[in-house]
Amino acid sequence: MEFSFSVTGPPKVDLKDSYDVVVIGGGPSGLTAAIYTSRAQLSTLVVNKGAPGGLVATTEWIENYPGFPDGVAGAELGRAMQNQAQRFGTEFASGEPEEIHLAADPKVIRVAGQDIKARAVIIATGTTPKKLNVPGEREFYGRGVSYCATCDGPFFADKELLVVGAGSSGVQESGFLAKFASKITIVEFLPTIQAERILIERFKKTGKGSFLLNQEVLAIEGEETVTGVRVRDRDSNEEKLIPAGGVFIYVGLEPQTEAFADQLKLDQWGYIEVDSNLRTNVEGVWAAGDVVSGATRQIAAAVGSGTIAAIEVEHYLSSKS
Amino acid sequence: MGMLKDEDKKYIREQFDEKLKGPVKILLFSQKLECEYCQPTEEILTELSELSDKITLDVRNLQIDSDDAKQFGVDKVPAIILLGEQDKDYGIRFFGIPSGYEFSTLLADIIDVSNGKSDLPEKMVDKIAAIKTPVHIKVFVTPTCPYCPNAVRAAHKIAMANPRYIKAQMIESTEFPHLANKYAVYGVPKTIINERVQFEGAMPEAAVVEQVLSALEEPGA
Ligand SMILES: Cc1cc2nc3c(=O)[nH]c(=O)nc-3n(C[C@H](O)[C@H](O)[C@H](O)COP(=O)(O)OP(=O)(O)OC[C@H]3O[C@@H](n4cnc5c(N)ncnc54)[C@H](O)[C@@H]3O)c2cc1C
Repeated sequence: MEFSFSVTGPPKVDLKDSYDVVVIGGGPSGLTAAIYTSRAQLSTLVVNKGAPGGLVATTEWIENYPGFPDGVAGAELGRAMQNQAQRFGTEFASGEPEEIHLAADPKVIRVAGQDIKARAVIIATGTTPKKLNVPGEREFYGRGVSYCATCDGPFFADKELLVVGAGSSGVQESGFLAKFASKITIVEFLPTIQAERILIERFKKTGKGSFLLNQEVLAIEGEETVTGVRVRDRDSNEEKLIPAGGVFIYVGLEPQTEAFADQLKLDQWGYIEVDSNLRTNVEGVWAAGDVVSGATRQIAAAVGSGTIAAIEVEHYLSSKS
Repeated sequence: MGMLKDEDKKYIREQFDEKLKGPVKILLFSQKLECEYCQPTEEILTELSELSDKITLDVRNLQIDSDDAKQFGVDKVPAIILLGEQDKDYGIRFFGIPSGYEFSTLLADIIDVSNGKSDLPEKMVDKIAAIKTPVHIKVFVTPTCPYCPNAVRAAHKIAMANPRYIKAQMIESTEFPHLANKYAVYGVPKTIINERVQFEGAMPEAAVVEQVLSALEEPGA
C-alpha cells in the first residue's frame, strides 16, 4: 500500500484588515500570481473556494506541464504550488467572498463576515464543469452522476460506466476510471473524437473502452441509483438505452464570473475581457488564467498569465506609492 | 524512511510552532489483526506527534479497551479522536486513515483543538451552541477527493461549537465499503445528519449549519 499526505491547508485564523493584493481563486494562475507578489514582499491573500490548485487537483495525472519528465499527479502539483506561495508568506482564506467592491479604492472584499481592503485585485476564478442539462442529471448527482473521476472513481469497481464527452478531459479521465470499471463507453455529440491522439490510444489500450459518436444524450435514468443513459443517434434518429452504473460528465467548462458580472466587462460567454497586460476595465483589477476571454485553457498557460498579472500589479503598486 | 517527506515535516513543525497553544492528545483506536489500515495510521500519527511537544499520541485497542471505545462511540478501526486541554472531547472523529487530502483536515483540526476554537463565524457558533439534542454528522470521503476536506472541516467545526451534543465523523469510504453501501454513497463528499438529512458536495459552512438545524425539526412540522 502506498499513501500520500497532503499538508496544505491549515487555516489562517486571523485575517488582516488590509492587503496589498487579494487574489480571488487558488488554481495555477492565482497561486502563481501569489508566489510572485508575496516574493516581491507585497502582502497577499488568496481567497479560494475550491481545492488547492483548483481544477488541477481534480485531474489524476498531468503529462504536459514542463519540469516533470514522468508526469505528476494533479493533486501533488496543486499542493506544491500552494506550498510555494505559502512559503513566501501568502495567506489563505477558504471559501467565497460574500461581497466584492472592485471599483472602490481601496477595493473591499468581504470574507467570512470581515471586510478586507485591497490595493489591487487579481481575479483567477477559472472555470467549472458544464452541466449537460438533461433530465436525471441533477436527480442522480451523487447517486451515479459525477463530474470528478478522481473523487468518485473508486465507487464504481466492476461497474459499467458511461462517460459523456470525447474531448481530452473525458478521454483522459476515462483512462483513470478504467482502473476500476469493467467497461467504459464514451459518448460524444460530434461525429469525431476531439481528444489528443496519445490519450485516445492509451484509453484503447485499457481494453475496456469504446466510443459511441454522433449521439445526443437525452436523459439519465435510474431508480435508487443510475441504471442507464438514453441516447439518440443524430443520423438515424434512433433512440436507445445504454446500461450504466455511473455517468461521468466532461462536456466542457464555463467561467466562474457570476460574482463580478455587474462590475467587469465580460465577453458573450461570460469570460473576462482584458487588455494585453491582463488589465480589466476596472482600475487596479487584473484577471488571469482560464477565466480570461480567449485564454488557452492549460496549466502552463495559466501559470504564464498569473505571472504577467502579478508583475503588472507590482509595477502598478510601486508607481502608486 | 518515514511516511512524511522531510520538507513536509519542516512545514508542519513551523505551522505547529506558530499556531498551537494548548496540548492536544491524539487518541487512536486500533487493532492488530484484520485491520489493513491500522498499522499505517499508527505510523503516520507517530511521526506527526513527534513534530510538536504539545502533541501526544495515545494508542488503545478496540477489544482490550472496549470501555473506552464505547465511551467515544468507536465501533470500527482505525478511529482517531482529538482531545484538547484536560482531555476535553471536541466531538471530532476520523474513521479510516487520514491520508491524501484528509491529512490536511487532521492538521487543521489539531490546530483548532489546541486553540479551543475554530474560525466558524460567531453568528453560526451561537446557533449551534443553542442546540440541546444529540446530533451525529457523518461525512463520507475518499483520500483523492479535493472537495472533501471542506465538508469534513465544516462538520468538525460545527461539532467543536457544541461538543457535548454534536459528534462529527469523517468516514473513509474505501475502508468501510459496507457503510458506503448502506448509505448509498456513489459520490463524495456526502454528508448525513442524524440519519435524516443528507446532501452531496461541499456546501458553504453557513448552509451546513442550516442543514444541521433542519435535521432537528420535527418531522412534518
Ligand atoms: C479534467 C481536466 C483535465 C485537465 N488536464 C490538463 C492537463 O493534463 N494539462 C493541462 O495543462 N491542463 C489540463 N486541464 C486544464 C487546467 O486544469 C486549467 O487550464 C487550469 O487549472 C486553469 O487554472 P486557473 O488557475 O485559471 O483556474 P482553476 O484551476 O479553475 O482554478 C480556479 C480556482 O478559483 C476558485 N474560485 C472560483 N470562483 C471563486 C470565488 N468566487 N471565490 C473564491 N474562489 C473561487 C475555484 O474553486 C478554483 O479553485 C484540465 C482540465 C480538466 C477539467
